[in-house]
Amino acid sequence: MKNRTRSAIAAIVAVPLVLGTASCSQDAGGDDGDITTIEIMGKPAATNTAALELFEKQVAEFEDLNPDIRIEASDVPWDAKTFVTRLAGGSAPTLLRVPLTEPPSLIERGQVADLSAELADVESFDALNPRVMEFLEEDGAVYGIPEKSYAFGLVYNRTLFEQAGLDPDAPPTTWDEVREAAKAITEKTGKVGFGEITTNNSGGWHLTGYTYTYGGSVIEQGSDGTWTASFNDEPTKDVLEWWKQMRWEDDSLGDNVLGKQEDLVAEFTAGNVGMWISAPPDVYPNYIASGGDPEAFGAGAMPQGGADATLAGATVLMVNAKATDAERAAAVKWMDYRALRPNYDTEVAAETAKASAADGLPVGVPVLPIFDDKTYASYTDAISEYVNVDVDHFASYVDSLGSLEYVAEPPVASQEIYAALDPLVQAILTDESADIDSLLDDAETRVNAILAQNAS
Amino acid sequence: MTIAPPGLRDAPAPRVAEATAPPPARRRGRGSARRRAAVAGAVFLLPSLVLFGYFAWWPIGRSVVLAFQRTNLVSPAEWVGTANFDALFADPLLPTAALNTLWFSVLSLAIGLPIPLLCAVLISELRRGGTLARVLSYLPVVVPPVVSVLLWKTFFNPGEGGVVNSLLGLVGIGPLPWLQSPELAMPSLVIVATWSGAGTAILIYLAALSGVPSEQYEAAELDGASVWQRVRFVTLPRLRGVILVLLLLQIIGALQVFTEPYVMTDGGPANATVTILLMIYRYAFLFGNYGVATALSVLLAGVLVVVSAVYLRVTRSWSTS
Repeated sequence: MKNRTRSAIAAIVAVPLVLGTASCSQDAGGDDGDITTIEIMGKPAATNTAALELFEKQVAEFEDLNPDIRIEASDVPWDAKTFVTRLAGGSAPTLLRVPLTEPPSLIERGQVADLSAELADVESFDALNPRVMEFLEEDGAVYGIPEKSYAFGLVYNRTLFEQAGLDPDAPPTTWDEVREAAKAITEKTGKVGFGEITTNNSGGWHLTGYTYTYGGSVIEQGSDGTWTASFNDEPTKDVLEWWKQMRWEDDSLGDNVLGKQEDLVAEFTAGNVGMWISAPPDVYPNYIASGGDPEAFGAGAMPQGGADATLAGATVLMVNAKATDAERAAAVKWMDYRALRPNYDTEVAAETAKASAADGLPVGVPVLPIFDDKTYASYTDAISEYVNVDVDHFASYVDSLGSLEYVAEPPVASQEIYAALDPLVQAILTDESADIDSLLDDAETRVNAILAQNAS
Repeated sequence: MTIAPPGLRDAPAPRVAEATAPPPARRRGRGSARRRAAVAGAVFLLPSLVLFGYFAWWPIGRSVVLAFQRTNLVSPAEWVGTANFDALFADPLLPTAALNTLWFSVLSLAIGLPIPLLCAVLISELRRGGTLARVLSYLPVVVPPVVSVLLWKTFFNPGEGGVVNSLLGLVGIGPLPWLQSPELAMPSLVIVATWSGAGTAILIYLAALSGVPSEQYEAAELDGASVWQRVRFVTLPRLRGVILVLLLLQIIGALQVFTEPYVMTDGGPANATVTILLMIYRYAFLFGNYGVATALSVLLAGVLVVVSAVYLRVTRSWSTS
């Protein structure tokens, strides 16, 4: 082959290769003429077929109602380990669905858009729960809305309760009672009495929630505005001591304590765990979708150590700061359509409930409402005829929602703090001779270092 | 290792060129042909240069710069001098992670070096079923890393019903807590890493073994050498070069261990399996602190360069003797 021919072939091969690489960086969403395409989070997982069908139906209806908007939905959930990078790298969707721990840092870093103008037109915006909204508003700007809120409670297996000779209608309400019940379940059934999780920040999350029930806190703000660790005191020590007794004296926590929430949901669904702490309304749909027995599910009040308080949080919807005006408006329309309207528009609520019930999805799971009491009452009235969940099994949890004080998660560096507390919890649960005081000192130093770095 | 015998390397190329130099009248034509060839070569090289430059050298250069900056990859980066390194050295987890990584490396060399070598020697001695043994030994490498790690996580279930504990129970050992124990978690990870990586090393050793002339074994046998003496005086000296390269690769790989602790233990229990790479990952992708993450990456890369250089220098005479 002649040199010239070879050069020509090389150029033919090389040029598209280089151009092809360069063209890979185009964005998925955007404005295409009159059509605005938005990428959204929150599509149910493919395994949750009924919820996915309902979601797809809602997308189709929404697109019919808004012919100028196209939805591209993603079932990739928020993940503490990848979200920051996706957002920074520009590959995060237009509509973000994140836990309530995230908004402060997202707002501070300018990664989410101010939605005040768009939200002003949304009906019932003023009826949203102010206790959640305070995390989403800053200097008069509104950065998001809650999709759902939760409060910690006791999730328990009614069948195992019966087998252990416990009353499934009267779940334990204090940590001492939980310890006794766990011991009974392990002794009588051979199953794990009380399940615990300690990886992927869940150990720190639970330690925080349990500490609140003893009246403690994880971080506190000084008069000069700086934050410091505040957990190296009695309330947290009580929690750690309680864990230690359960693990090493009663042997009611089981052998496997190095897992995350998903692992425990699977074990609980399989009927291998008596009790654990989570947000019951969040757990229930996954439990049912995975084939859990509805009759065995029980939700109780968050066990207390004397403070009558529980950790409360929410899943919130925000919009990527990189969104165009049209994308932002489209995203808010979708937020209203999917997340808000079914909660305040009684007609839509009834329709959604009817469709969900027909598809075998749980309807009427008692939740911590995102709207005020009046709006929530009219919502529950509207869906009452379609309720297919045994609300009695949630009685203790529902009662607690009215009586316990809600305490929010740490407002700064929450995920980093949880990550720093995981090893502390793991040490207590995997090392019989773990020294609580020195572990707390170490964790305090580490959390203070995180807070100092965060402030600088 | 040498590429060509010294005699060849010093071949008198210029004299050859001189002797065959074209007459002056044709020089021009030859020159432009050479230029064309050079241009063609450059065009062929260009895609690789662009791809390597864009995806490898540019990020490497950027990461060194990033180690001295603070950025959230949204707002413009800000120069912070050595603040990232200061924050890193103030992190009490760094010594723990460094020691854990070293411990993993020592364990994985102690277990991961002799086992593949032994397997390769045994397989090469097989009269029958050699191919099957090769396939079986390589099979774990084909399993995607995350799948094999999750599989082993199930095997290491701490109860009596766990696969490993059930097997050990047959000989009266256990049940052991494996991943749930700060002492046993790291050795458990090394077992998994060895299981997943041994197949490649076995194949390389086997290829090297096939290059050992059978006459040398026959001569050794005639001289009355035992099996061990044949391995010691014939096999190992012939494999020395391969062993050295694999050892270096294993050291570098072990110092960069990530998948096993990330998927199996998330660094737990109680930081017993936090490694340097897991720290880098957390800094970058959990805390969004890219400056400190890259500072640690640059440090690790520096350590690896030094380790490799020292290793090659120390073993140079050994490998060529």
